[in-house]
Amino acid sequence: MSEFTPTIGIEVHVEVKSKSKLFSNSANTYGMATNTAVNVIDLGYPGTLPTINKEVIRQGIRACKVLNCDITRKMHFDRKNYFYPDNPKNYQITQNRTPIGRNGYVEIEVDGIKKKIEIEEMHIEEDTCKSAHRGSVSLLDFNRAGVPLIEIVTKPCISNSKEAMAYLTKLKELLFYANISDCKMEEGSMRCDSNVSISKDDTFGTKTEIKNISSIHNVGLAIEYEIKRQEEMLNNGEIIREETRRFDDKQGKTILMRVKETGNDYRYFIEPDIPYLELTDEFINDSLSTLPLLPDELREKYSKVGLSSLQIEKLINNRPLNGYFLGLLSYKTNYVTAVNLLLSDISSYLNKHNKVVTDTHLSYEKLVSVIEALETGDLSNKNVKDLIDSLMETDKTLDELKKEFNIENITDDTFIKNIIIKVIDNNPDSVNDYKNGHDRALKYLMGQVMKETKGTVNPKLANDMLISLLNK
Amino acid sequence: MDKLSREEVLHVAHLARISLTEEEIEKFRGELKVLMDDIDKIKDVKDFDDGMIYTPIEDNTRLREDVVGEMLSARAATINAPKKNGSFIEVPVMINE
Repeated sequence: MSEFTPTIGIEVHVEVKSKSKLFSNSANTYGMATNTAVNVIDLGYPGTLPTINKEVIRQGIRACKVLNCDITRKMHFDRKNYFYPDNPKNYQITQNRTPIGRNGYVEIEVDGIKKKIEIEEMHIEEDTCKSAHRGSVSLLDFNRAGVPLIEIVTKPCISNSKEAMAYLTKLKELLFYANISDCKMEEGSMRCDSNVSISKDDTFGTKTEIKNISSIHNVGLAIEYEIKRQEEMLNNGEIIREETRRFDDKQGKTILMRVKETGNDYRYFIEPDIPYLELTDEFINDSLSTLPLLPDELREKYSKVGLSSLQIEKLINNRPLNGYFLGLLSYKTNYVTAVNLLLSDISSYLNKHNKVVTDTHLSYEKLVSVIEALETGDLSNKNVKDLIDSLMETDKTLDELKKEFNIENITDDTFIKNIIIKVIDNNPDSVNDYKNGHDRALKYLMGQVMKETKGTVNPKLANDMLISLLNK
Repeated sequence: MDKLSREEVLHVAHLARISLTEEEIEKFRGELKVLMDDIDKIKDVKDFDDGMIYTPIEDNTRLREDVVGEMLSARAATINAPKKNGSFIEVPVMINE
């Protein structure tokens, strides 16, 4: 075990979801043609004036709630001054002295141990333009300039790469679910910098900053590499310099970058073009009223209605389906069957047709009637597969569709009994397995009955009869 | 001390991305010191951090509705750029690793 203790702090930038940019009314969008989601404010033309987007402040308030931060009631924006072609104003409008949120936390669990990762502050700022480097030139696209960002800074309280990855995973889940950001690291809507230092005692060692790490997995690798690099340096009697590095995932190591201004060199001062803001209780409460249930709240709610943890996680990972299921909870039905349907036949249909469930004709009433029919055996799983397109694409009721598709499951006792006897006679091994307590054998035998009848018998009736005959 | 050091002047010049002649460095050692003394006087103002000192506006929550407005074409957006590359603005390379 190493004699050094690592200390890690993480800074995350997420692009905030809104229609327009933070200080201008050009579109906050991804993927438009180069330099077309732009106006004179984004380009930093002299004489232009920034105005604050109300929705971004609302999103900031929601982020404070989700990340358990105190909301700053009275705040202003600041200018962070630096010369760099990605920002032609030569300053970035950010929040230095009055960040919208302070003193928050995100709870993580690593190897069964829970820990609160403390958030020092969270501030709103504008993004810079996007630059691509080509040999001796850089190419600038201002579509990203002025896109609203929230920067979330933790205290130096993270102890290892596992905690860092757990924190980022949880942060991403929370911000995505609260509809604050898409959090797509591959598209740059979530970006991560890590500060790493090591020390033999309670004092902090000299930190290095690793910028723009492109995935949560790479954050873990970059931190592990950096801890090892610093340990080797100190063991060799070398001095660690405060510097900015980047992680090269192909080489699996961190590399020294050019050092830009830091600290006082940014010459922060209050942005004089924007009046200070005072958030009222009414504005805060109104902003929070649209906040959806968060993953941990959903987990608790869903386990109470009997869903398995696997079902819960699958549902939470599919936000449109989850939203639909939440609405279903105001109906009395079998929720486990509902989720099974949503995650199987309904999901297959949606994926195949590239649709979301709210774009279809699957009303809650119709879904509840399908679940009831499955429960009573009036409908088999095979029937659902046959009907799925019509259930999703038409307003016809289940009864109407059953008539149209000529679905009437056989309920003739004698017929079903004869089939079951035949299946029992042909599968003596499975019968023995069932009698020895193997429940899977029952499912297999039931499958054989459905196969023999091409799925036309009432499944509930057949299942009850099979158990009864097996137990004789 | 009635003048800034030569290093301090050069640091400020670097932040402004300008180069200075020896005469200019000497001149700014004195001039910047006068400027900094004036800034120190502002810092002495009581309750500098009180919001009212930098904005006299009463209605503090005037915010813009989140609606997309008119935008420029790529041609218009890049019309004043010294150099273009397709729809991009081209500048000397920014990274130096």
